[in-house]
Amino acid sequence: MRVATDIGGTFTDLVYVDEHGDIGVAKSPTTPPNFEQGVMDVIEVSGIEKEAIHTFIHGSTVIINALTERKGIKTGLITTKGFRDVLEIARGNRPDLFNVRYHKPEPFVPRYLRLEVEERLNYQGEIIRPLDREQVKSIVSYFQQEEVKAVAIAYLHAYVNPVHEQLTVALIKELWPEVHVTASHEVTKEWREYERTNTTVLNSYVKPTAASYINKLQGKLKENGVDSYNYIMQSNGGTTTFAQAKETPINMVESGPVAGVYGAAVLGELIGETNLIAFDIGGTTAKCSLIDKGGVKVSTDYYIERSERSAGYPIKVPVVDIVEIGNGGGSIAWIDDAGSLKVGPESAGALPGPVAYGLGGTKPTTTDANLVAGRLAARNFGYNVDLEKVKQAIHETVASHFDMSVEEAALGMIRIADSNMLNALKLVSVRKGYDPRDFTLVAFGGGGPMHAPILAKELGVKKVVVPTASSVFSAWGMLMTDLRRDYIQTYIKRLGQLDITEINQAWAALEQEAWQQYEADGLNREAVIYTRFADMRYVGQEHTVKVQVPNGEWQAETFAEIVERFHQLHEKTYTFRLEQTETEIVSLHVTAFGKVQKPTLKKLEKTDILVSEAIIESRPVYFEGKGWVTTDVYDRHKLSPGASFEGPAIVEERSSSTVMHPGQSLTVDEYGNLIILTGVN
Amino acid sequence: MRVNKVDPFSLEIVKDSLIAIGDEMFYTLGRTSMSPIIYEVLDYACGLTDAQGQLLTQGHGVAGFIGNLSFMVRDTVKKFAEGKNLSPGDIIIINDPYSGGGSHLSDVGLVMPIYYEGEIVAFSANKAHWTEVGGKDPGSFTNDSTDIFQEGLQFPCVKLFDKGVVNQALVDIIQANVRFPDLSLGDMWAQVAALRTGERRFQELCEKHGKDVVTASIENLLDHGEQLARKELVSLQNGVYEAVDYIDSDGMGNGPFRIQVKVTITDDQFICDFRGSHPQVLGPVNCSYTTLVSDVRTIYLAITNPSHDINDGVFRPLEIIADPGTIFSAERPAPVSVYWESGSAGGDLVWKALAPILPKRLTAGHFLSVCAVTLSGKHHVTDEPFLIVEPSVGGWGAGEGQDGVRGQFCIGDGETYNMPVEIAEARYGVMVDEYSLRCDGAGAGEFIGGSGVVRSYRAMTDQQAVTVTFGRNKFLPWGFNGGDSGSPNEFYVEKANGEIDGPFGIYARYPLNKGDVVKLVTGTGGGYGHPFNRPAEQVAQDAKNGYVTVEQAEQKYGVLVDSVTYELRGETSERAQFRQ
Repeated sequence: MRVATDIGGTFTDLVYVDEHGDIGVAKSPTTPPNFEQGVMDVIEVSGIEKEAIHTFIHGSTVIINALTERKGIKTGLITTKGFRDVLEIARGNRPDLFNVRYHKPEPFVPRYLRLEVEERLNYQGEIIRPLDREQVKSIVSYFQQEEVKAVAIAYLHAYVNPVHEQLTVALIKELWPEVHVTASHEVTKEWREYERTNTTVLNSYVKPTAASYINKLQGKLKENGVDSYNYIMQSNGGTTTFAQAKETPINMVESGPVAGVYGAAVLGELIGETNLIAFDIGGTTAKCSLIDKGGVKVSTDYYIERSERSAGYPIKVPVVDIVEIGNGGGSIAWIDDAGSLKVGPESAGALPGPVAYGLGGTKPTTTDANLVAGRLAARNFGYNVDLEKVKQAIHETVASHFDMSVEEAALGMIRIADSNMLNALKLVSVRKGYDPRDFTLVAFGGGGPMHAPILAKELGVKKVVVPTASSVFSAWGMLMTDLRRDYIQTYIKRLGQLDITEINQAWAALEQEAWQQYEADGLNREAVIYTRFADMRYVGQEHTVKVQVPNGEWQAETFAEIVERFHQLHEKTYTFRLEQTETEIVSLHVTAFGKVQKPTLKKLEKTDILVSEAIIESRPVYFEGKGWVTTDVYDRHKLSPGASFEGPAIVEERSSSTVMHPGQSLTVDEYGNLIILTGVN
Repeated sequence: MRVNKVDPFSLEIVKDSLIAIGDEMFYTLGRTSMSPIIYEVLDYACGLTDAQGQLLTQGHGVAGFIGNLSFMVRDTVKKFAEGKNLSPGDIIIINDPYSGGGSHLSDVGLVMPIYYEGEIVAFSANKAHWTEVGGKDPGSFTNDSTDIFQEGLQFPCVKLFDKGVVNQALVDIIQANVRFPDLSLGDMWAQVAALRTGERRFQELCEKHGKDVVTASIENLLDHGEQLARKELVSLQNGVYEAVDYIDSDGMGNGPFRIQVKVTITDDQFICDFRGSHPQVLGPVNCSYTTLVSDVRTIYLAITNPSHDINDGVFRPLEIIADPGTIFSAERPAPVSVYWESGSAGGDLVWKALAPILPKRLTAGHFLSVCAVTLSGKHHVTDEPFLIVEPSVGGWGAGEGQDGVRGQFCIGDGETYNMPVEIAEARYGVMVDEYSLRCDGAGAGEFIGGSGVVRSYRAMTDQQAVTVTFGRNKFLPWGFNGGDSGSPNEFYVEKANGEIDGPFGIYARYPLNKGDVVKLVTGTGGGYGHPFNRPAEQVAQDAKNGYVTVEQAEQKYGVLVDSVTYELRGETSERAQFRQ
């Protein structure tokens, strides 16, 4: 049996699949600070036999929380002489252009814990000045005296040649075995010293947190008789072993959200759709990501705490490309200084939550608007909803301001929220040169199914899929993952000057490194699948385009093929190509999947329940341009595969609700997914 | 009024879409550019204006471009018979510094009319710093030109595309007149791509919502901006505020030059009167009136509301007055290639005049200068010519409740990125010996001025040349409310033979040979409040971090710190007396 658990802010989700391909889900409250207890609780709730768990996959927000709450460990940094302040100078940028009181993000290591050693390589990786080992030794004693608990090492040009970093690590481990150490080349082999240094520092900063978390979880599992292969979900859309996760925990930073995107890709494969947009609406944010021909997009262009007001902190590890905006069910509506309606980014969160929860919230949210417009049913909230109070909040903040009815105001709030989310969806699709008509939207999270059908229509997407496990979809995605490691090496070479033997060696070296790690994990050669990408650009450009390139030995004619692929991608993304300009590789990127055995998902059997029997009620729902329309509301659990009907209609399930607009139609597929045709031709 | 017929939510949705279009144009240009000055420094701006040239939305990387786009479009409208001599597919090229939103010749503007149902409904425009536009020096902008003709090619508002067909003759002329034509023309194509993106998206918006709704939204957008600004204005204390300062030099040995401003704030106006400032000068530190407008707008935004969405409505209450032919309003053929020195000084004057009444919004003076560095020569491995064109980070001023920011680009820059050392060493014929904070103890105060930085380039080949334009070399970043002033921007050359030359502020083409090091040192910002008011524990921590020395802790702050353990040992009698 494969079991996936995903720890969220409020709930710990579990999804399992047994040997027959049957799927089960469970939810249980998250239990900070002893998160492992929540994991055991949810296993208990699910009723599965602990001994039957063969593979255990886990996603958690523990790393991102440790970073954003500054709950990591006291960390010291060692740099090349002359460069200890790189971490503080950073890139010098100020996104908040007109704010002369801009606050620069404070470095995670204060200046007195940033020390320098004599050592230097040039950009070709040649040693200009050897490492001064004595200085390393005295730094170690200084750090010990200052009670540093983790050390980061980042030397210039270590991405080409890590020799001095390796020597330093060895020396520190010898002198001070108990300290947590990270050298920059262990987490990223890309150039740009600030980004690499910061990534290294953050990895060190959370290493003890990760180690204690994983150890506790592992201990608890063992204690309870779970004897399984254990994996952690990483930001690149794949999993890794517990042991590896303790070494480079920074790879877990987006553990949860990316699993949903990966899940969308797997679901697509199952139902024969390879071009997908994954769309997830939670309480505070909406997230989307585009999947092109089955491939989840991964880049190292990732930041935490970055916004229009702050430069944030770069983390140069592979992360699935996700666009996230501050618009979710709990987003608060407000009127700005000049009288315009805005929704979000401020959120009422889970506490006090929307007015409808009756937990003290007084500011109207998107969820409240959906309730007033009839899209959500009061009985489904799990709270005693005071509808008059909700209407009153919308009246006071929005309707009275514009001198309109409460339902018009509620619809206005929904439209503004939709507009914000539409911009995010455009960002991953049309603005990257993709035609939405070629894509299917997979909607999940509490609010995804409610907003997706109309947004898909606006965007020009023909089809929306609401998966069976839409409210625990991240955990469902984890269940379907393989092991994944990404190897990215900065490798600056013009295509015209590329030596076939050298490039073949470079690829082979990366794949060999991958194989060795998988071999250590106990995998067979056949189970390891490589995909190669080259990050390419026109000579003179900075930003690159990720081009998938052939596996195996390259021949002379391979080059022409790669260049043509690059021209095409560049034109698609940026509208033009420069045939005469030379092209250049910047990085080699090997993605190595360790394929694991997964049961085949079972198709559902048709039931005798008629579609009409699934109708719970007919209630008025407020639609744009139509006003109040009497709308049938269906119970999802009573819908049998093959069932179909036309919109307007609402499909309710626990913790989410799918809203179909007039002119849209729905079919339940053989896995229980809702397939909605949006009305786009 | 037509606005009332459209529902308020559609107006809002179109407005947001307009802003998204500006961002998308900006993104497109940055991602496709060939030049570090664009993709790292983000020295460019993209935007949309209405049919009259009023700015609707702007995606921008540097503050200095705020204002240029609308002037460019208005010039285009005027030159082409109120737009009658324009056609769909036309693109106009313009870099005239004295009109048309000009800054210096390196900033090349493109303007494209957007047609819908046969008439112009908007303009798509952008402006980007080309690495090369010809002229007497590599990199084009220089600090010892004496007229505009030495500064490069001039594009006097002419058609680069005619009905969608490129003017090949013009492209050939550019090709023949610039030193790195691949870079310049590559950037030109990137700009064209961004304009077309803007055109396409705007037309889609009209398709979807109808022209009337879009037009109404535009009016609403501009009015909305104006209302927000006026609301802030009312909260400011009415009065007349004055400041005087000096610009160091013109790079030709002349100076300093006296400059002044009188700011008048009423409930509905914000007037900046620069009359009485120095006449235009021989060297290229002059700026045109449109540059002055950009810089004053920047600080006006900082004062009224830094998080505004930018459009011309916001600036309606702002009036800027200058005599003709001054250092702030230069006329043809005055050289302007390092225009930001005077432009930033103009903005800084307003800042300085108003800081005393706005201690919560404004900080003490910062290093102010773009601190531009141009370094050329040959690469030590590839033997190819290289050219570094870059601004520098420096120290910002402290303010009430906030230490100055360390190592940050100046106000005229913004979403600007420094060049990573690893990339610089691979691409250029240099090694970087040091990139560190300049912890000189300047800018002492209750809140301490942010440190400048030291960046040292070691030449790896003979016959390199470095041109440095560091203003604020003689007149320091000003302290505020009892805080000390900061330190100067300056550079030294440490020659391979051990000789040290400098410090200098502005220097054209200093020759470097293999092993020579140019040490670029930017200023620390001004302090805020009396240093004796800085908590002693904090001073001890500053000493431990090396931001101040143990001696400075005692002399400036009156705090006694152990020189080995950095523990707090006590305070001086002066400090104790002061604090009583």
